[in-house]
Formats: sequence, structure tokens, C-alpha cells
Amino acid sequence: MIREHGYSHWDGQFIERRLPWWPITRLNLKLAFRKKHFRPVYAFSFMPAFFFIVAIYISERIEDFQFIMRGGRAVLFEINPNFFKNYLASDFLLFMLILIMVFAAAGLIADDFRFNALTFYFSRPLRKRDYLLGKAAVIAFFVLSLTAIPAILFIFIKILFAGNFSLLKNYPWLPLSIIGYSLFLTFFYCIYALFLSCLSRHSRYVSVMIFAVYVFSDFLYGFFYNWFRQPFLLLLSLKHNLQQVAAFAFGVKPAQPVPWFWSFLVLGLFCLLAGYLIIRKIRAVEVIR
Amino acid sequence: MKPRIVTEHLSRWYGNVLGLSDVNLEIGPGITGLLGPNGAGKSTLLKLITGQIKPSVGRVTIDGQPVKGRADLFYRLGYCPEQDAFFDGFTGWQFLYWLLRLHHFPEEKAAERTKEMLRLVELEADANRPIRSYSRGMRQRLKLAQALAHEPEILILDEPLNGLDPLGKRKMIRLIRDFGQEGRLVLVSSHILPEIEALTRQIILIHQGKVFAQGDIHEIRDLIERHPHVVSVRTRDSRQLAAWLIQQPYVVKAYFGENDDNLFVETRNRDKFFNFLLELVAEGRIEIEEITSPDDNLQAIFDYLIGKA
Repeated sequence: MIREHGYSHWDGQFIERRLPWWPITRLNLKLAFRKKHFRPVYAFSFMPAFFFIVAIYISERIEDFQFIMRGGRAVLFEINPNFFKNYLASDFLLFMLILIMVFAAAGLIADDFRFNALTFYFSRPLRKRDYLLGKAAVIAFFVLSLTAIPAILFIFIKILFAGNFSLLKNYPWLPLSIIGYSLFLTFFYCIYALFLSCLSRHSRYVSVMIFAVYVFSDFLYGFFYNWFRQPFLLLLSLKHNLQQVAAFAFGVKPAQPVPWFWSFLVLGLFCLLAGYLIIRKIRAVEVIR
Repeated sequence: MKPRIVTEHLSRWYGNVLGLSDVNLEIGPGITGLLGPNGAGKSTLLKLITGQIKPSVGRVTIDGQPVKGRADLFYRLGYCPEQDAFFDGFTGWQFLYWLLRLHHFPEEKAAERTKEMLRLVELEADANRPIRSYSRGMRQRLKLAQALAHEPEILILDEPLNGLDPLGKRKMIRLIRDFGQEGRLVLVSSHILPEIEALTRQIILIHQGKVFAQGDIHEIRDLIERHPHVVSVRTRDSRQLAAWLIQQPYVVKAYFGENDDNLFVETRNRDKFFNFLLELVAEGRIEIEEITSPDDNLQAIFDYLIGKA
């Protein structure tokens, strides 16, 4: 009988946690790694980092690798800001980040909608911003693990192989650029994935949307560019906008003659609108009863 | 006793639909039943009190503090929602443990408390089964466990007895009563009168988004007693019975249904009416096949209160 069990009171003290969102992040990271297709995708996303480390090694052993320097390939092995920009804004990495969002971020909010779980979140000592931070931190973990962390590691490896600090002496602002652009990417992917995740109760639809919006924006750019040949049309493409901002962050010439701030503005407006809609959507269940 | 939950002119619209209208309540410690038919606005009121939704007009305070934007109030408040809200892949243990972690319980304490709560609601043996395999009753108990787990001073329960079998209901009622007897505040909603009666005498009657009555259940019932009750009696001697009954001062009206065997009687005093009927049966003056009370339900009480009947 329940009555016979009686209550056993918890006499401990509640300690207000500094990071109330951490249990949310931890749980969702665990859930992401439990998905069987996610782990290979995540592991495969480190491939470029591996090749860039090999490139750093080769850059310090040019004389041993003359056979691969023919045909102007030597430029690939110059360790300068462009090298880092090529890593952080490569088509492959940006695409792999989208794939990671497809697997790990699609259900972040959609699943909570599906299971009516917002009621439970918001009947705990948790604010809306804690909830969103907890979810965003999952995305931030994956994005930063593939951007800032490998890029900073490249600097250390370069210093280690070169045995001097010439890279940092020549480009003292490089670590800041890496961190700044990585945080920008993180912010964009957080908003992008969370926004799409709160548009549906079904994480599968969200997965499709995350993939389709990114690919379709690029397709739109290609389609209209073929017709009108206007470089400004790159503003339609999420990928090209991210690459334009990267060019500015690393002080290199952008691929298209379009000022970087237009791309920044487009992405900024997207984030602003998406952020507003996320906040509007994250309410507890409002059911007419 | 000083009220802990106070609502002032609380109103909530869902678009053009009125969810709650100008509700002013003061709720003190102990168990209070929120009684109303489906769609009355009970869940809306509970969601407003727990800060799940924002009021269109008015405000709610708990211990003098506004609910809005006060996440720290949930250290003191436990909420059991009406609808199922589980993560399907979770086991009962994982669900409770994780919610306790959100309550800032340290890992070890959360595990300990999870075990205790699962034992309390008799789900210990099923702790490691996925919630999706739980029966409705088990889910209800798990929901109650999550509301109780952090030892709240205020417990808000939205239809906690729904879907429970009679034994489960009895156990749940005991559990809630034990909790309320400790001087805490329990606000429990239901659309079934006997369920609330088993829990408490203090009730709030709500209908169509408005509070119709608040106070002791017996006092409210006495008020309702002034209204005639309708009783349907099926007998082959319905005309004879009508002749006897109409002579009784507490019988207001007697009329026949579509079938002549069915006699409908309106009485102001049910007890006297039934005593008289029993006498007739005991004396063998009449044979009765069936007695029903078509207005012996909550909706009828509300109909009386709002003057429909």
C-alpha cells in the first residue's frame, strides 16, 4: 500500500546551479551520440581537419614533397590566414555541419513539442533563456569542435613543426579571427537549426528542412546567376554568405566582388527574424480546454 | 489562514475563445478541489497559476510574488499536467532522474530520490522499462511522482485520477491526502464530483471560464438542495405511483415519459422522496423495475447554479 511507504523527506539544501541549462545540454548530447548514423557522420566531418594537419606538416617539409608542388599547388601549403579561411569556410565543412544539424539538432525542439515536454521544462526552476541556451549549447559543441578547436590546434601544430612563432608574429590577430568567425558560425547554425526545429513536431520534417533550405538557397543562387550573371545574387545563398563573411574575418579577397557586409546583413537579418520566431514559438502548451 | 495563491481579475482568451473570465481566488494551505465539467477552464486556470501560459488580463501571485518570470518559484511548486508529456524513449527512472537534475539535485541525491519516488508510486519494478510500455495508470503515477519528487510546498494536480482503475484511484487519493495533511497546499482538478469529495471539502466550482462557487462542498450542496431533483422511476403502475407521489408536499411535478412505464418526478427533498418510495416497495404496494437520477451529475449542478435548469 502506498500509505505504508509514507513520505521520506529530502532534507538536503537546494543549491542554485550557475548553469541551469547544463542538464539539458548533457542529455541532448547523449541522445545525439546514441543515434547510429550520427557517429560516422561526425567522425567523417573531421576528415578536412586531418588533411589540413597533413598540409601543415608538408608545409614544413617542402623539400621532401617537391613532387606534389607542381602546377601551382604550392599555394595550398602556405600557412597564412587564407589557409584557415579555406578550412573554416570550405564547402565540405559547411555541408558537414549541416549534416550534423540534420542528425543532432533537428529534434532538439521538435521532439519537445511532440512529447509536450515544454510543460515539464517550464515547471522547473528554468527560464526560457536557460532552455534555449541548453539546446543551443548542443549545437555549439558540435560546431566549435569542428571549427575553433581544430583551427586553434592547427596554430599549435604549425608552431610545433616550425619550431618558431613566425605565424603568430606575422598574423597576431589570427587566433581572434578564428575564434570570432567560429563563434559567428556557431551563432548562425544555432539559430538556423533551432528555428527550423521549432517549426514542426516531427524531427524528420525538420531534418529535411535543415538540409533542403541550405541546398535550395545555393541552388537558387546558381540558377539565377546562370541567367543574370550578377554577383549580388550570392546573397541568396547561405553558403556563399558565410564564405563572404569568412573572407572578411581573415582579411582575404572574397570570391565574389560583393562587399562582405551585405552578406553579414543578410545573415544578421535572417538570425534576427529566426530568433524572434523561436522566442515566440517556445511557449508552454496552449491548449483550449 | 493566509492565502498562498491569489488570483486577481484573472482572464485568458484563446483568440476569440474565452478560456477564463475575471477569476478572483484566494487559496490557502490544505487540499482544494477545482471542480468543473470538461471545457470549464480548469486546466487554463492551473496553467495560469503555474505560469505555463500568460494571462490576458489580471495576475497570479504565489506567496505574494507574481508567477510571471519567477522560475525560482518552481523550487516550491510541483505541477502534474493533465496531458501525457513524456519522452518516449526514456525509462521511468531516467525520466524522474533527469527532471530532478533540472531541479538542481546533485547526481547522487537525484538517483536516491528517484528510487524513493518510484517506490512511493509503486513503479520500482518497472523503473527500467520504457515509458511507452507503461499503462495509463502507470503514466499517471509517474506524472504524480515527478510533481512530488522535489518536495514542493505547493502541489498543482490537473486531473490526476484520470485513467486510473478503482484501486489505483484509492491509492492516489490517499497519497494526495497524506500530502495535503502535512499543511501544504494542494490544488487538484477533476470533473468527477465523487473524486473531489473523497479528497477534500474545500472546492471551487468553475464553469464556462467563471468561478460559480467556492467553499465547503456541503454548503454548496445545501444551496443546490433548494432546486428540485429529477428522478426517473420505471414501473408498470406508473399512473398509480404518480397519484400517490403528487400528494407529497416535497414533490413538485410528476410527468410521464414517451413510454408510459417511465415516470419522471421532480422533488425538492430527495431523501424524503426515496424514503417514501422505499415504504411503498416494502409494503408491496408497487413493484419498481429501475430508478435513475438523470440530473445527478456535475453538469446538472452547474445547470442549477447558472439557472439553466
